[in-house]
Amino acid sequence: MDEFLQQVVTGLATGSVYGLLALAIVLIYRTTNVLNFAQGEMAMFTTFVAWTVLQRGEYWLMFPLVLLMAAAMGGFIELVIIRRVEGAPVLNIIIVTLGLFAILNNVATWRWGGIPKGFPAPPEIQVTGVKFFGEGALDIGPTVVSYHDLTILVFAVAIMAALYLFFQYTPLGLAMRATAQNPIASRLMGIRVGRMLAVGWALSATVGAVAGLLIAPLILLQPPMMMGVLLYAFAAAVLGGLDSPVGAIVGGLIIGVSENLVGTYTPKEWLGPDMKLTVTLLIIVVVLLIRPTGIFGRRALRRV
Amino acid sequence: MRRLGPPPTAKLIAFAILAFFLLWWVPFSHVLPDGFPLRFGTYRTFQASMIAMWAIVALGLNILTGYNGQISLGHSAFVAIGGYTAAILMVDYGWPFWSTIILGGAIAGTVGFLIGIPALRLTGPYLAIATLGLALATPQILKKYDGLTHGTQGINVRPEVPAAPGFIEDWFGISLSNDVWIYFLALFIALIMTILAINIVRSRIGRAFVAIRDSEIAAQAMGISVPRYKTMAFAISAFYAGIAGGTYAQLVGYVSPESFNFLLSINFLTTIVVGGLASILGSILGATGLILVPELPGFVGFIPGAGLPAELSWAFYGGALILVMIFAPYGLAGLFHRLVRLSRAYGRRLEALVVRSPSSGQTGAGPADRFPQNHPDAER
Repeated sequence: MDEFLQQVVTGLATGSVYGLLALAIVLIYRTTNVLNFAQGEMAMFTTFVAWTVLQRGEYWLMFPLVLLMAAAMGGFIELVIIRRVEGAPVLNIIIVTLGLFAILNNVATWRWGGIPKGFPAPPEIQVTGVKFFGEGALDIGPTVVSYHDLTILVFAVAIMAALYLFFQYTPLGLAMRATAQNPIASRLMGIRVGRMLAVGWALSATVGAVAGLLIAPLILLQPPMMMGVLLYAFAAAVLGGLDSPVGAIVGGLIIGVSENLVGTYTPKEWLGPDMKLTVTLLIIVVVLLIRPTGIFGRRALRRV
Repeated sequence: MRRLGPPPTAKLIAFAILAFFLLWWVPFSHVLPDGFPLRFGTYRTFQASMIAMWAIVALGLNILTGYNGQISLGHSAFVAIGGYTAAILMVDYGWPFWSTIILGGAIAGTVGFLIGIPALRLTGPYLAIATLGLALATPQILKKYDGLTHGTQGINVRPEVPAAPGFIEDWFGISLSNDVWIYFLALFIALIMTILAINIVRSRIGRAFVAIRDSEIAAQAMGISVPRYKTMAFAISAFYAGIAGGTYAQLVGYVSPESFNFLLSINFLTTIVVGGLASILGSILGATGLILVPELPGFVGFIPGAGLPAELSWAFYGGALILVMIFAPYGLAGLFHRLVRLSRAYGRRLEALVVRSPSSGQTGAGPADRFPQNHPDAER
């Protein structure tokens, strides 16, 4: 039972990173119907920038700085590159994001080298005697949770809540939702649709940057580090429903947990840890066959 | 009726030029002196064979994605099935190479059909990611069940790959080296598959595919069985990938789980989009481009002053992808068609100049204007 809980808890932690990146993917998909294959590389790139800043700066000083930079990068990519292919077939835009993938990956390798680097977890903060972040693990009855796993979970929940508030209660959030729902009507109502798309990319890059900063301590900082995470994030986004932010996080959690459980509890001879990815993907396909637009996805309505 | 694309003659000429280069440049280049820039060494010959193999996959994927509108990121799995079928049967059971290629295609096609059934429920990005799962799982499956697949070490097919048969030397008096023979083999298979693809897309089946892509409901209303043709598209496409996989095993001489990772699938999709969706010519151009573009930075490096740091060749490739998508949204084939149209328009303008110039004694109201059916434009 203890092992089971342990597997679930660590699964939830890695799952929330998948969920965060999936959330970033969903934010872009909702507004532009594009699967952003460069999402992981954007996060990797910002994490490398964070590493550079950390060489001479404080962690909590770097954090907002890097998020700002990520937002600028996201907006820049939309304005300079994606804007050029606006209205093109979706597959074309996907190829453009693949091009971005190659560029970001290659430039990072060229600039920072391919040797894996250690990346620090958020350092400890004491608030009125209660410890946040930092090293060590927290004993919660039947199992223990490392502080970093806890940090990841808290960040995922906090970002989710912040995004919810942003989309529901701010004029900008409302305008963005309107843009996602009907760009033409939004434009007629005086919303700057192009600007909303750029903001969407900026927001998405920021969320992705947080995912990168949180996963880097677990898997070492190196150019290909987000490749695996990105694939899980895609799976999570699809599982939850590509137009649902909540679905992205839930999908990530389901994948994180089921991956751990499949690795631990299936027969080693013909399944086991080597096949955990395969079995997890199979589960996703089965879910998709029952709900073709994901768990929380809106059913596509067809107008004849 | 307005016909899409350039006229058959222009297409034919393009194919002929392409075929000429593919067919004859490789053997011809062997006559050139060593060190001549366009002389194909073993590596260039290998690349030419790879282009043929990629063209086969691209044709198949284009039938599925370009003509039928189903996005697949799982084609590396079908290529793996073809490659492994050929390798296992040749190495472990001693089958002749040609039979293993055909059987590999058939098995891949069957698997493609089976995958096509659940794929009926999924569309767009959901289908893309579900098939990406197939591509991701393939190397793991190949590693895990090593009783059949030889596990991580892969299978060395090289000793079983046939040399050029004797009759070629008897008939033509030239002895082909192994790589040139394999190249001709790959080219021959690619040619057959191209002719087959042209016939498929121009037949009733091909028109059904396009009708379904453009509107499933309209197609259904016209009496087209949507599930039947969608699974058929998957099967045909996977068959192509399987044939390509068998060819791959011959020309690389080695298959391993990592030869068929998901990046291959993504590259296949890139090939057809860059080449041109729903275009036979585009599939071939895309395959050529995708194999050769990563080579360009090294080439550019030769020109003094234009040198790119060699470490940035991937960034160069990514930039090329983005530029093609911005400036040629219909891919290389679209670019080609536009050039053909431009040249024809230019030709018409020249013609008009000649016809209307005072020296020719006509004032513009030639017979062509009175009888529109004779006008060079009338056919369009």
